[in-house]
Amino acid sequence: MTAALEISNLSTEIKLSRSTVHAVGNVGLTINAGETLGLVGESGSGKSMLGLSVLGLLPNGGHITGGSIKIEGQELVGLPEKELRKLRGDRVAMIFQDSLSSLNPTKTIGQQVAEPVRLHRDVTQREAMERVLEVLDLVGLPKPKERLADFPHQLSGGLRQRVMIAIALACDPRVLLADEPTTALDVTIQAQILRLLDDLEQRLGMATLLVTHDMGVVAGRANRINVMYAGRIVESAPTELLFSSMRHPYTQALLGSIPRLEQDNTKRLLSIPGLPPDLTNPPTGCRFAARCRFATEQCLQQEPPLTGDAQHAFACWNPVDGPAELTESVAHATRAPVQAARAGLGDSPSITISGPGVTQNGIKPLLEIVNVVREYPITAGFLRRQVNSVKAVSDVTLTIHSGESFGLVGESGCGKTSLGKLIVGIEKPDSGHIRLAGEDVFSYRGTKLRKARRDLQMMFQDPFGSLDPRMRVNAILQEPLQIQNIGSQRERDEKVRGILDDVGLPAAALERYPHEFSGGQRQRVALARALMLEPKVMVADEPVSALDVSIRSQVLNLMKRLQIERDMASVVISHDLAVVKYLADRIGVMYLGKLVELGSGDDIYARPAHPYTQALIKTIPVPDPAVEKAKTEVGIRGELPSPIDPPSGCRFRTRCPLAQQICSEVEPPLRRFGGEHLAACHFPLQTPEPDAESSLTTAG
Amino acid sequence: MLAYIIRRLGVALLVTAGVAAISYALLHAIAPNPAYVALGDRTSPVAVAAWDRAHGYDHPEVIQIVDYVWEIARFHFGYSYKLNQSVGALLKENVGRSAYLSLASLILALIIAVPLGIFQAVRRNSYFDYTVTTLNFVLYSMPSFFLGVILIQFFALDWHILPPLVGDNITSTWAAITHPNQLVLPIVTLAAIQVASFSRYMRSSALDTLAEDYIRLARAKGLSERVVLTRHLLRNACLPMITLIGLSIPTLLAGNLLIEYLFNYPGLGLMFYTALGNEDYNVMLAYVVFGGMLTVLGNLVADIALTVADPRVRLD
Repeated sequence: MTAALEISNLSTEIKLSRSTVHAVGNVGLTINAGETLGLVGESGSGKSMLGLSVLGLLPNGGHITGGSIKIEGQELVGLPEKELRKLRGDRVAMIFQDSLSSLNPTKTIGQQVAEPVRLHRDVTQREAMERVLEVLDLVGLPKPKERLADFPHQLSGGLRQRVMIAIALACDPRVLLADEPTTALDVTIQAQILRLLDDLEQRLGMATLLVTHDMGVVAGRANRINVMYAGRIVESAPTELLFSSMRHPYTQALLGSIPRLEQDNTKRLLSIPGLPPDLTNPPTGCRFAARCRFATEQCLQQEPPLTGDAQHAFACWNPVDGPAELTESVAHATRAPVQAARAGLGDSPSITISGPGVTQNGIKPLLEIVNVVREYPITAGFLRRQVNSVKAVSDVTLTIHSGESFGLVGESGCGKTSLGKLIVGIEKPDSGHIRLAGEDVFSYRGTKLRKARRDLQMMFQDPFGSLDPRMRVNAILQEPLQIQNIGSQRERDEKVRGILDDVGLPAAALERYPHEFSGGQRQRVALARALMLEPKVMVADEPVSALDVSIRSQVLNLMKRLQIERDMASVVISHDLAVVKYLADRIGVMYLGKLVELGSGDDIYARPAHPYTQALIKTIPVPDPAVEKAKTEVGIRGELPSPIDPPSGCRFRTRCPLAQQICSEVEPPLRRFGGEHLAACHFPLQTPEPDAESSLTTAG
Repeated sequence: MLAYIIRRLGVALLVTAGVAAISYALLHAIAPNPAYVALGDRTSPVAVAAWDRAHGYDHPEVIQIVDYVWEIARFHFGYSYKLNQSVGALLKENVGRSAYLSLASLILALIIAVPLGIFQAVRRNSYFDYTVTTLNFVLYSMPSFFLGVILIQFFALDWHILPPLVGDNITSTWAAITHPNQLVLPIVTLAAIQVASFSRYMRSSALDTLAEDYIRLARAKGLSERVVLTRHLLRNACLPMITLIGLSIPTLLAGNLLIEYLFNYPGLGLMFYTALGNEDYNVMLAYVVFGGMLTVLGNLVADIALTVADPRVRLD
């Protein structure tokens, strides 16, 4: 039987004006019909270029320099453009990452899905529309007939991704190239789309090349995984074998650098130092050598060939044997004062929900968020009257203690970023209070408010957008001190150098501009900026989600160390529960503006009380084939309801498998599930403490 | 949508009133008394005072401004004492011819600039791109009357293909339309200047659109490059042009001024030019206020057109 897709010795270059990027070098892979091959690598590893090479859609200046690509035995390399076009969209189709930018904003869904059908099949307009409806139904778009005239922006991200899959499947392709098909989606939607792709592949017998940076995504669904680094395939093995006994140090480090839910969060993540090499001038020898823990002289001199059997091949002179154990502790200093304080708190029944001021055993909370509401008005009509509002944060109450690290997790649109902005005072609550050390700082004005802001700093998600491109790092770091009038110039200089050292950047970085740094280094600058004023509370909004996997663990380890050393309270906001659990002592789960569950990392992960929390945990792709393959449910069905008009009663009820009549009528109050573990659910998965339920009613 | 248009029209009225008030105040500060223009330089102060009283120029300046704005609000543009005609009638007579010149040149410019910009983007950094870019910059930096003079020299004086000036027989808009050979040079000159800026804009917009993911997806469907460009790129790349065209409508009025003068084409521009020399107060004012109205309306029309062209844009 001929393979559906067979690539051998493929090399691809991209010519720039002054240099040439050697994007893909000597890559070979084979996928049979009905199989999925996972192609894993970081950005810049050449994995996307490999996919685009197959379609012949390389960016300007890109061309294939050697090798062969065969689809069901037919050679594609050297095929004239006209012949290639006949294959594209017909026998080979591609799904891209971002469904919003990949669909034409001025054409309807129906037109866009019909296009490949009309092009490749000799059909009438009417027959084409029948096929469109059929394929939209296949990808699970609800009521496809009513959606045909919709434009892409009218659909949610998940539905748009389904439309893009429908376009790819419209002509029954033999080979499907999926380039990060779920990266732009929320975890709950990601699970649904991955399930759909699985299902379709089996029903339609396609060969799928699943390109991703996420080991968790491939773990459950690829038959085989190829790991790509700097344009080369460094390891190739069946999925189970790759995860249980990888041989390449890069594969090992990549897996070890991903924070996991079940993991002890006092251990350092395995991190890969440095950056991937520049492919315009790749190093001789092994391309990973500069970042490898096991590199020897030989690695720097000679490039290792891909050796091993057809089953398990790897390119390394000093192969490892299986996954690494995480043993190194994050920091030697223990969190004695905080731990002691929190141990004491654990016994008192009213720590989190008690009123302002002093808690029962005398420990004053650092930050109190009391019944905070934030709604963004929607106006309409001639006089721009407010007709409705987006309920971003609805009646959230929580307390953060000094030195504590608190995590906020939830899907996009759940209000976690709005709450973060409220905490640092970028926005003001419509009602409720935020108190810092007992004082309502945001009622201050002028100088007093400016002084108070010193204690509240924020670190943003996008290090490209949050640093002024025309300011040198030195100026960026000095600015907070100047604004707050702190210290003499000399003291400021000293302080800047000290912080730079703390975040692991060389002193030479001071004279450089943000664009001269890589993403990871830039996020270090952003962290340093937030730390300049030694805030009492630092809010980090998605601190690592813009970073590559191998860089992510560097920043996570750094943040973890600084949190402990500086004894500063931090609020970590992320959609990724594993990231939050790694960084935070206590976690709050938000859903559609409401805090639905609150507890320690273990409470949330091991004993979730709210069905939403449980579903969220289920949907996170785990880099472990056994766990992923054992998953039978999708987790959460449907999409996030509109925050303009949230469901009555419990806001999760529309997607909850346990929902009953009462859930739509009565909003569930937060109830206690032992210690600091609270959840707002009528039918919790754990048994709540019987007493004092009424006194805890703050919500509703 | 309707509420939006009503609100915008309200704003348009306010802006126009503001333009009228400021122009009136400025003109009165710099220009001599209109009485001298109407009655002659050597009129006695008594006669001037009587004329002022008769025409409301003896009121305090603020009252005069309010009066003027009120007149404008009722579309009364005053009286030209030089031409002994109401300015409204003058506008009415000339506006059609100017509009024809502007519109024809705008359409011609777009017909050339849109495909040109797209092809430049597709063949980016090729010799074709460089040549067109160079030509564009030459045209862009050239004063319109200078270009007109060059064209007259070649096409009229040297080669005798076209008449150098518009004849006296162009007495109506219809006459302008039915005598195309007389209007070729003015229209081409005005269009050439616009092609330069439009095609630069179109090129950059098409470059942005070419880099979009949906263009890549269109290619991945197997569409030919021609279909990708016409079906997926054209409409999206033209969206930013709509705003540009809306903003350029009042600029055309200014562009017309020199061209109409150069070719002796009877339009608003020529009328204003003559008024400048004559110190014909109300005509000058009317021209400025008319420009203000066109600016506001051009913007409004562009915004509404954008909602039709781009399903993502909603006005409310």
